[in-house]
Amino acid sequence: MTSMELLPALLLVPLVAAALAFASRWAGAAAKPLVTLIHAVSMTVLLLGTLRLAGELLQVDQIAALHGWMQVDSLGAVFLGLVGVVGFLIGVYAIGYMNYELAHGAIDVGRLCNFYGIFNLFVFTMLLAVTANNVIMMWVAVEATTLGSAFLVGFYGKRSSLEAAWKYVVICPVGVAFGLYGVVLVYSNGVAVLPVVGDASSWTALLFNAQLLDPTLVKLAFVFVLIGFGTKAGLFPMHAWLPDAHSEAPSPISALLSAVLLNCAMLIVLRFGMIAAKAVGPSFPQTLLLIFGLLSVGVAAFFIVVQRDIKRLLAYSSVENMGLIAFAFGLGGPLGILAGLLHTINHSLVKALMFCGSGNILIKYGTPAMDSVKGILKVAPITGALFIAGALALGGVPPFNIFVSEFMVVTAGLAAGHPWLIGLCLLLLTVVLAGLVRMLAATVFGAAPDNVPRGDTGALTLLPMGVLLVAMLVMGIRAPAPVGQLLARAAAQVQTGSQPQIAQAPAPGTAVAPTPDATPAAR
Amino acid sequence: MENLALTIILLPFLGALVTALSPQRVAKWVATVFSALAAAAVIALAIGFDQAGKLAREVDLLSFGQTALMGLTIDRLSVLVCVAVVVLGFLVVAYSTAYLTDGNREHPHDGRPRYYAFLLLFIGAMAGLVLSSTLVGQLVFFEITGACSWGLIGYYEKPKALKSAIKALIITHIAAIGLYFAAAWLFVDTGSFALTGLAHLNDGAKVAVFLGILIAAWGKSAQLPLHAWLPDAMEAPTPVSAYLHAASMVKVGVYLFARALYSAGAVPEVIGWVGVTMAVVTMVYGFLMYLPQRDMKRLLAYSTISQLSLIFMALSLSVFGSELAFKGAVAHIFNHAFAKSLFFLVAGALSYSCGTRMLPSLRGLLKHTPLLGISFCVAALSITGVPPFNGFFSKFPIFTAGFQLSAAHLLLLPLVVIALIESVASFAWFLRWFGDTTPGEASEAVAKAQPVPPAICFVLVTLIVMCVASSFIAASWLG
Repeated sequence: MTSMELLPALLLVPLVAAALAFASRWAGAAAKPLVTLIHAVSMTVLLLGTLRLAGELLQVDQIAALHGWMQVDSLGAVFLGLVGVVGFLIGVYAIGYMNYELAHGAIDVGRLCNFYGIFNLFVFTMLLAVTANNVIMMWVAVEATTLGSAFLVGFYGKRSSLEAAWKYVVICPVGVAFGLYGVVLVYSNGVAVLPVVGDASSWTALLFNAQLLDPTLVKLAFVFVLIGFGTKAGLFPMHAWLPDAHSEAPSPISALLSAVLLNCAMLIVLRFGMIAAKAVGPSFPQTLLLIFGLLSVGVAAFFIVVQRDIKRLLAYSSVENMGLIAFAFGLGGPLGILAGLLHTINHSLVKALMFCGSGNILIKYGTPAMDSVKGILKVAPITGALFIAGALALGGVPPFNIFVSEFMVVTAGLAAGHPWLIGLCLLLLTVVLAGLVRMLAATVFGAAPDNVPRGDTGALTLLPMGVLLVAMLVMGIRAPAPVGQLLARAAAQVQTGSQPQIAQAPAPGTAVAPTPDATPAAR
Repeated sequence: MENLALTIILLPFLGALVTALSPQRVAKWVATVFSALAAAAVIALAIGFDQAGKLAREVDLLSFGQTALMGLTIDRLSVLVCVAVVVLGFLVVAYSTAYLTDGNREHPHDGRPRYYAFLLLFIGAMAGLVLSSTLVGQLVFFEITGACSWGLIGYYEKPKALKSAIKALIITHIAAIGLYFAAAWLFVDTGSFALTGLAHLNDGAKVAVFLGILIAAWGKSAQLPLHAWLPDAMEAPTPVSAYLHAASMVKVGVYLFARALYSAGAVPEVIGWVGVTMAVVTMVYGFLMYLPQRDMKRLLAYSTISQLSLIFMALSLSVFGSELAFKGAVAHIFNHAFAKSLFFLVAGALSYSCGTRMLPSLRGLLKHTPLLGISFCVAALSITGVPPFNGFFSKFPIFTAGFQLSAAHLLLLPLVVIALIESVASFAWFLRWFGDTTPGEASEAVAKAQPVPPAICFVLVTLIVMCVASSFIAASWLG
């Protein structure tokens, strides 16, 4: 199968798996093993497919499919790889977690089938968001992720989870509607000025011809896009849905929301940031990203310190990390973009570990409240140890990976001439570290309650966390060569793609012309 | 030789992993074996380095593109300090195997694998920090020691201990911001993280980078205004206090400053003034805080603060061009590590056998527990700088250098005089407690003392020997 065929086929996998999973509720007694198998196969194929695509993008600059409706470039490959790898690990964890929920009567088999079905649908929409090349399609995909995940947020049907799902369904589409407005602005301007009218919905064509666009409209559009997709990425002050949704969803879903979904929205902000940088110069989008990024870090840091609920704390930590990523992109320069991309990967790995850990804690204690969760290290030693490592990693302690990207942000900031902003940012990150160790002190140590049975939660819920920990250490000590190359290529793509002149000639080794010959809209 | 140096760093890390996975019964023996191996390796490194003619060498370990991120530097400074931190690490692990047992009267508690794992991690990170040739490497190990100190100070899991642990981590992390800045600034200016690059900075950048390093150093070495974590950190198990607050963690700060001065060539005098002034202020503060202390460990904590100020003062004096002050400072890092470890471990032994370390309830040590009495005596005399113990031989050159420099920089004279007065006054204060506790008839707690286990005796005797010998080792090593 060529990579051009692989790309749409890869998207079909979770879609088909979702349909099969929904259907397997009629399989009677075989439903549980059947649906688990479908889910496992889907996740494995997803992992292998995304790795192969990401591997090929080390050789070529772009893989396009479906007449240019879909494309993956080096930048997209980073995010696609994240969906694949982190999605797979969370998928495996979900099997262990949901088996437990089923065994303890929290759900029945029919709902288990629904869970895997919606899980796969959700993965499909995220794949669509990172591979879409049509700017309207990007919006559609992000809206679709909301739909997919809203049912998962409200999965338990409790009062609080329904409220969270409701809040999610109201805030996100309203926010993302702003994004649509920004997208339409760019599109309509593109229709007016692009040499081929049909190209106006293609992101690659818009970027290629960004200098033709009207500067005022582009500025306006970027503000809308940043607010719109920034809502979905969890940037302050549009983050209000995030702590509720993350804390009420089943833990594997919290992990998926935080570690994968937020990145997809951030990718779209970045893609429009590239267009804006090329059209009106980099300082406008960068300044906005700096402001929103630092505000998110600052506000989230103080929320983290006062949380009494583990999952809410982790949710605010997602706001903080998305803010830091935006901040890094806002610093700009090769180092800043690289730092932002690296931090995206690092945050995903760590946050997936932490939410899986919070799932294990829920299994043992039945609550994420710090007042009730005590002595994890005595109740479930492996979970406790992994949780300590994850929280320290999240706080930026070496030799874990987040330290590397945070240090890179510092270097990028000094190189860009923002020493005071960096100083402020580092102080805020210290507050975050304080909040995280405070959580550890409250939960991991101390005497365990008597009514909690001793013993860890089983291999399927621990193994993915172990793999994530190893990945964190590897990324912290020395990133594997292919990952480093892919990141360097992606950063170079963002850098050159958003510069006015250099991007005019297609780079050597391009598999497909950057401007697709005919989009369906042209016909 | 590079391989040996790398072994010293990696062996404790490996040991920590194995220890963490071991069952509780064997964990302490696994840890002892690994720390002993690391200590043997560091002694082999020192001997090998000495026989090879003490030629400084550097090697890169990890690079990103053309930029070296981590590397090793093996020279007189790093090897000497590395010997102290790793050998003392072994001694502390050995001591802990006897201290953290159910026989302990103050804290009956069997040591968990977690304790030994964190301690080994700490040893490895210390070795790594000392041998690093880049600022990033130093920053990495700086932060790892911070995280380990958090794990160790909060080890007893009491609310107060956990709070103190967070305090230590956060204050030293705030200090680390200085090092983040220094490393990034060095990179932006010179395109490299190597410490040797410090010499190529212009004066303005040098001042900025050194201020960053100083802030980091003040934090770890518990100097004003970042000192607040150290007295509270006495919640840690006593062997940990000995290691963190005598041999390793607090020495990170002074070592960072020493290493930077060693690599940077000429440094603007403003750094010297800032360093000396803060050192003398901290020293006076440390001494004033001696006076209300009744708990032996807290007294030692403040003594550590003022002793480190003395080292900071000496290092800052070397900015004005005194090699004698620099050598005195390095020798004092080495000597103080052994003397203060002995002092803390005596306090621990008193807790173990008498069930208390409150000074007013201790009397007649020499008669009932002669080893503890002698150790107390040796430690006090070493710390306060009485010949023939080691403290004297490093304090003396520091004050000599101070008075020599005062000839050219008259403003230094009052500062050096204040430091000298502090030194004499702390001698008097320790003499007072020595007189109260060591001679005479035994108090109730001492009379009922249980015998000290052999492991603790072994460690104490070794340290007593080192309190006499270390100054000669340091002097002959530094030449």
